[in-house]
Amino acid sequence: MFAANDHHLSATRFAIPTGVLALVAVASWSIFFVAPTEATMGDVQRIIYLHVAVAWCGLAAMIALGLCGGAYLVSRRLSWDFWSQALCEVGCLGTFLTLVTGSAWAHEAWGTWWTWEPRLTSSLVMWIMYCGMLLIRSSIEEPQRRARVGAVLAIIGVGDVPLVLMATRWFRGVHPVSPEMDPTMRVVLLTSLVSFTAVFAYLATMRRRQLEIADQVVELEAIA
Amino acid sequence: MRMGDTAKAMWWLVYKDSLRELRTFGVWPGMLLLGLATVFLLATQLNMSVEQKTSLAGGLLWISIFFAGTVALERSFASERDSGCWQTLCLYPAPPSVIFLAKMATNTISTLLLECVLIPAFVVLTDVPLLSRPLPLLLVVVLGTLCFASIGTLLSAMTAGLRARGGMLALLLLPLLTPVLLASAEATRLILVDEVGPALWQWVNLLAVFAGVFTMAGAVLFEFVMEE
Repeated sequence: MFAANDHHLSATRFAIPTGVLALVAVASWSIFFVAPTEATMGDVQRIIYLHVAVAWCGLAAMIALGLCGGAYLVSRRLSWDFWSQALCEVGCLGTFLTLVTGSAWAHEAWGTWWTWEPRLTSSLVMWIMYCGMLLIRSSIEEPQRRARVGAVLAIIGVGDVPLVLMATRWFRGVHPVSPEMDPTMRVVLLTSLVSFTAVFAYLATMRRRQLEIADQVVELEAIA
Repeated sequence: MRMGDTAKAMWWLVYKDSLRELRTFGVWPGMLLLGLATVFLLATQLNMSVEQKTSLAGGLLWISIFFAGTVALERSFASERDSGCWQTLCLYPAPPSVIFLAKMATNTISTLLLECVLIPAFVVLTDVPLLSRPLPLLLVVVLGTLCFASIGTLLSAMTAGLRARGGMLALLLLPLLTPVLLASAEATRLILVDEVGPALWQWVNLLAVFAGVFTMAGAVLFEFVMEE
């Protein structure tokens, strides 16, 4: 029975990263070889397929972080905090990539690397909040207290999500709002969204597993 | 708990904090001096026409207020921990939300006091006619202060037990205050250019929504922050 389980586990461990890698390969191929070249900006516009995908991952991670925070405060199970830590790290990465790719696109489109535009400002605020959460979490030793403080911060952080999403509508800015796109471009964008969501979900799952194992090691060391 | 008892419990906490501050002067002098020093430094760099200063004054004034006000916020719970009163505060016979509202009221008073000094100082040092429309300005100042005190009080309680609490509080507070800063600065600018119309009320409404949401979130979440 153990041999069968081990075989199943190793197959799953191999299958999931392979599937994620295949999705990334398909998305990359679509971005560079399937998507038509945009008339005004040329090849630089291809950044958008990556930018939108990582921006979505950063926002989704914050929403999931808030939900995990709420779940921890209700159940007081540390497993929710492992999810929070993993999502915080992955969300921080996603938002950082959003700022970098957005800045590269803005340099070509607007002639500047950065402008204090509402969508950009609210995204930067989100990234600083992710960094702040990680910093605070790393400065608290006691696991339950760290989880509690992290959960409260995550719930506050979710408040930034509507600001990022609605920034272009509530405050007048220069960031594009749902621009008209060629149907092929839409399909490529969707492919990129799905593949990067899979990458970030995989990273979060792996990190959560790592944190769980680290916690088990600490418990075993305490017993021994 | 009855409404009268809640108000009484809140009042005693505000009274206790105010009395301690009046006896020790542990927070207000430092906060006021830091605020004045910031305004002075900013004013030395505003070597331009009054029209140009007017477009910048709102943002600079609110940055000075938030920057100096962080001193009062940082001490509001750190002083309880340093003097060994945190456990007593946790045992206070009132719901955690009442303790939060009392601390928020104390921080609002401190910040309003700071503004009473900084706004005239800003007018004197920069020649910007900030006091030309006092009532709309008062409304913006009160709402901006409520936003600052509500979110700041919650974060102050969270960071009070940490090693680098001052840095941590500023790191978390200032990004969260960005939308409040934008709304307050823009509302102040509109008052300065005498555009007291729908555009101003839009920003005032936004500030009122932020103040309401932050206060409610703080009152609900404070229970989890107080746990030891």
